Formats: sequence, structure tokens, C-alpha cells
Amino acid sequence: MLNVKDIKKTFRSGELTVSAVNGVSLKVDTGQFVSVIGRSGSGKSTLLSLLGALDKPTSGVIEVDGQDIAKMPDKALINYRCQTIGFVFQNYNLVPNLSAIENVMLPMEFAKVSKTERRNRAASLLDEVGLIKDKQLRRPNRLSGGEQQRVAIARALANKPKLILADEPTGNLDSQTGTMIFDLLHNLAKSQNTTIIVVTHDEVIAGKTDKTFKLADGKLVK
Amino acid sequence: MNPVSRGIRNAFRNLTRTFSLIIILGLSIGLSLTMLVAHQAVTAKISQVKSSIGNTVSITPAGFSGFSSVNNALTTQQLEPVAKLANVTSVVESFTARLSNKNSLSTPGSKGLTNLVSPTTLNLNSRRAHFFFAGGGLSQIPTNFSLPITLLATTNPSAYNTTNLSLVSGRLINGNLDNNQAMVSQAMASKNNLKVGSTFSAYSSTLTVAGIFSGSTRAADDAVVVSLPTGQAISGQANEVTAATVYVNSLDNLSSVTSAIKSKLGSSADVVSATEQANNTVAPLNSVKSVSAYSLIGATFAGAVIILLTMVMIVRERTKEIGVIKAIGASNAKISLQFMSEAITLTILGAIVGMVLTVVAASPITHTLVSSTSGGGPNAARPNGGFVRNFAGGTSHLAFGGRGAGSFLRNNFTNIHAVVGWSTLGYGLLAAIVIALIGSAGVSFFIAKIRPAEVMRTE
Ligand SMILES: Nc1ncnc2c1ncn2[C@@H]1O[C@H](COP(=O)(O)OP(=O)(O)OP(=O)(O)O)[C@@H](O)[C@H]1O
Ligand SMILES: [Mg+2]
Repeated sequence: MLNVKDIKKTFRSGELTVSAVNGVSLKVDTGQFVSVIGRSGSGKSTLLSLLGALDKPTSGVIEVDGQDIAKMPDKALINYRCQTIGFVFQNYNLVPNLSAIENVMLPMEFAKVSKTERRNRAASLLDEVGLIKDKQLRRPNRLSGGEQQRVAIARALANKPKLILADEPTGNLDSQTGTMIFDLLHNLAKSQNTTIIVVTHDEVIAGKTDKTFKLADGKLVK
Repeated sequence: MNPVSRGIRNAFRNLTRTFSLIIILGLSIGLSLTMLVAHQAVTAKISQVKSSIGNTVSITPAGFSGFSSVNNALTTQQLEPVAKLANVTSVVESFTARLSNKNSLSTPGSKGLTNLVSPTTLNLNSRRAHFFFAGGGLSQIPTNFSLPITLLATTNPSAYNTTNLSLVSGRLINGNLDNNQAMVSQAMASKNNLKVGSTFSAYSSTLTVAGIFSGSTRAADDAVVVSLPTGQAISGQANEVTAATVYVNSLDNLSSVTSAIKSKLGSSADVVSATEQANNTVAPLNSVKSVSAYSLIGATFAGAVIILLTMVMIVRERTKEIGVIKAIGASNAKISLQFMSEAITLTILGAIVGMVLTVVAASPITHTLVSSTSGGGPNAARPNGGFVRNFAGGTSHLAFGGRGAGSFLRNNFTNIHAVVGWSTLGYGLLAAIVIALIGSAGVSFFIAKIRPAEVMRTE
């Protein structure tokens, strides 16, 4: 489903140009659970933001189901982010002023899902990730890190994305909670045939995935 | 939840900031509305003054002021051709002088003595006394001090200045006969025990009270009205006239008659039409009008800047959050709508505070503006208000140009009503929304610039 050909991303910071991603090519099949590892600064987050159309590559092709998102106009990109991608971030990134359930409803609002359907689906997703009813109405600052990440996963699943991109989703959690979150993602992927790309530092976690890409200085190493 | 309700909720996210912002916006919107109200009130007054312009022309001796007395007075002969001009219906001529009694301070311009005592008593605790003596030394006033009395000799004794006099007893004197008859006010009569038929002295003559009128103004209370020939004769200033009012048959002919009079009298007289007088009268109002217009614009602009800067600050604070909702599929337009709704919520609350302030403050502020500005207007050249003007002598017949203008302004300006109507409040709401839209439109630019990839950065 994903076919990346020789993508590059350079940042200009003053005089210097940094090649965060420097010629990466990879293929991922539908329903695969893939991990990306590498040292800090190797370009993992940058690669993920290119795949999720949060940023445009300096050059190269990113084909998602045969469509090159590198060449999509801005409006189509908004739609792509909304319908095709689900994001999970290291520091949860929930909207602080909204309750857990409202956070999960938010992407569905952007996808123009009706209000009652939003609420029902958000509630069942939160049930699925194991957040009890009482906590669904709380704001993020009254939930633990693990609970917030569950909400973030439910939010990522809201619009039934084809591809979930997770940037160190367990990075801020203790290893036990991290493993639980990881297993949750894994099970969801398998049960719904969703493709998942997860960035991690944890070799154990990486070892459990279908495929592992290793990045160093913006390039894939085998 | 939708962008609008999220915006409203976000408006209360930081209660301290929301509260202070609403107060500041309320002040700026309140000021802007107050200035609007003042502007409307003053505009209404100006058009009222202008619409009540009479078709008269006033003539005074050139450079005439109370202090210069009547050295350069006009003469009856000079005014004769004026009465014959086309479109002139009548000419009222008058001669004014100051009478003092032995208890009066020696006053400039008063040449004659009288045995009458002014009915005006000075209550030094009253506002009026304060006003009169503002700037004059109170300590110099003797306890048995008597105000000077105005002698008005006129061809039209039925009116004092432009105010019609109503007789309470006796009869109206004939303005053209020299028969030593006089009219006095009720106040003057009771102060001096005068009845119709009583006599009193003025200069070296004895005058008989023929009529008693109810004085409508304090100045009229202090006056003795005689016919023009009587006044000229007893003061020994035959043929002298200190003021004349020319009545023109229609307002359309006012300016042509005014210039005709000017060319007849040349430099010996100041000829001012009622239109010019009205313009002089409303001049201080015009300055209030422009002050309020500038303040209105300034306060509205300040409100827009306040909300714009606040919204820029809020957007900067929420960069990460905006990146997140972009990452999960929000368009720039949706996010801008959310911030617009937040800005509108804040400004509407500010507008409500502003409207309350306006309802409370509009009237006092309008009055302060008007009275301080009229004090600094054309009248500023005349020191310290009514008392000195009265003292100055000889000016009482100057219906508009002299003392008349002062009292006219004072009387009329206190009648300015600052009314806060629904339309004003409606305008306030509209202004608030415009301010908010300007504020959030500027912010859309910053929102569009935020890269969704920002969310990948951990701080
Ligand atoms: N917006 C940017 N402007 C300039 N340089 C950037 C920008 N984003 C990333 N970089 C640079 O690109 C390189 C890769 O960064 P990236 O965040 O992708 O690393 P990473 O592998 O995710 O690291 P970590 O494990 O610490 O999260 C780094 O050298 C970083 O400084
Ligand atoms: Mg990273």
C-alpha cells in the first residue's frame, strides 16, 4: 500500500542545510506492522511527518495506494490527513480544553460525520481502548499518561484510517504501560487490517513487528 | 462540538486573562460608544440651533465692548437709511447704560446714579455666586454691596434681548416717546417697594413706573426698561444707539440685507447676521463634535488593536495545539473560524461591559465635554463668566454677540441630552463584531503559517 521512492527532506537553518531524510526508499504492504528505529536525530520523526503529509518532501515520490501524495494539492492533503492517516504522538497531543470523548470526536467532525454517530463511535472506541465511562468525560490533564495515550489511539482510529503513524508512542510511559499500549495497537492492527508504522527506541518492541527499518543520518541501513 | 462552540469555550480557558481583556475591551468600547452618544447629542443640538435661526441682523458700534463704553456709539441718523433698505421689516434700536447707587463699587461704564437697589442678592454659598466670582476676589466685596443696574432704552420695550417680557401690572411703555416712563421687573419692584405710579431717580431725572413685568432671566430682573428717547435724554447722550436689531422679511434675504447694511455703515459698525451669530454660537459645539469623532475612531481602533494583539498572543501560545488539529484533518478555515468565534465572544462580553459603562457615563461625560469646551471656546476671551460680563456694562442688549452668546450657550448647553438609544447599543454590538473580525482576520495569517509537522517536535 505504501511505496516510497528516494525521498529527501532538507532543512535550512541559517548557513547550514540539514538533510534530515536523505534518499529513503521503502515498501510496506497493507496490514503490515512495521517499526522504524534509529539514534536520536537520525530522521525518524521527519520520515513519519512526510508519510503523514504533515510536510512535503524536498524530492522523491510517496505513493499511497498508487497515489503520489508528494504531488497532491493542499486541499487534498487535508483530506488525506483526515481520512487516510491516524497519528499517535509521543506526548499524546490531546487538545487540553476538550474532554477525552470530545478529543476522539474531533477528527470525525472534520470528516463531516454526523453528531450522534460521532458520539457513539467515540464512546465505543474509548471502550475498546479500555477507558471507563467516567474517565471519558475528563479533560486530558486529569488522566494519566497511559490513559491519555489510549485516548490518542482512539482518536487515531476515529476515521478508520488505512495507515497509523505512531512516533514513539510508548516513549513517555513506563515499560509495563508501554507494552500494554503497544499490544493494544498491535491487536487493533490485526483485527482491522490497518497498516501501522511505529517509531521506537525499544529493541524488544521492534523485534515483535513484521518488519523493521533502521535509520542512520537520514538513510536506511540494513 | 463545532468550531464555533469550541471558540466560545476557549474564550474562558484562562479566566484571569479573559476577565482583564473584557474589562479593557469594555473600557475601549464604552469610550467609543460614549463618544458616539456625545457626537449624536451635539450634532442634534447644532442642527436645532441652526434651525432656530431668526431672520435678524444685529448692529453694534465697531469694536464695541463693555469696557470701551459708548465713545463710538452709532447714531439714530446713521441707522435711518438701514430702515429704508429693501426687505427690512423693522429696526429695533436700543441704548444701554449702567446705573449704580452709592453702595455700588465704582464700575467701568456706569455714569449715572440711581436710588434703586438691585434685587439680585449674593448668596456666596450658592453655585451662582461661585460662578460669578470665579477669579474675582471675594474678600473685596463689601457687605452692603449692591449690583449695578442696567438701563435699557429701546424702541421695542416689549422684549428684553430676544426674550419677550410679560407684564404683570401696568402697561407697556411706548418705545418712541420721551415721557420719563419706565418698566421694572417684579423682583426690582418688590426690592424697592415700587408700584405702578411710583417714582425713582436715574441720572438727575425722576422716572415713573408705568409697568411691571415678570423677569424671565436674572439679567432682566436687574434691568430698568425705558423708551429710547427717554434713555438718550436722561443720560445726555442724544441720538446715541449702542445696538440695533434689524428684522428681515425672509431668511433668504438675510445675507443680502446684511451686506447692504455693511456697505451703508462701513467701518463704523459691526454687522452680524443671525446665521453668523448661530455659527459663532455653535463653534464650541463643533469642536466637541470633532473631539468626540476623533475619540470615537481612536477608541474603536484601540479596541481592534487590543483584540488583535491578544489573539496573536493566544495563537502563538497554542501553536502546538493548532498543529495537532491540522494533523488530524482540520483546514485553516475551520481553525480560523474557531478563533474568530473566540474573538467575537470576548468582544461581545467587552461590548456588554462597555454598554453598561456607556449608560452610566454617557450623560456626565457629554456634559463635561461640552462645558469644558465651551469654556475654552470663543467665550474664553471674556474673563470669568457672568458676573464680570454683567459688570462690564452696556452689553446687555447684544442678543448673541456679547453677553447674550454666553448665557445663550450656558442655558442651551445644559439642555443637551445625551440619550443612549437602542440604535447606539446596536451600533456598539456591530462595532464589537467588526473589531473582532478585524482582530481575527489578522490572526488567520498566523494560523495558516503554522506547519502541522510542528507536532512532531517535542519540547
Ligand atoms: N524543522 C526543522 N528545521 C531544521 N532542522 C530540523 C527540523 N526538523 C528536524 N530537523 C533536523 O533533522 C534531523 C532529524 O530530526 P528528527 O526529528 O527527524 O530526528 P529523530 O530521529 O526523530 O530524533 P529523536 O529520536 O530525537 O526524536 C535532526 O538533525 C534535526 O535537527
Ligand atoms: Mg523524533
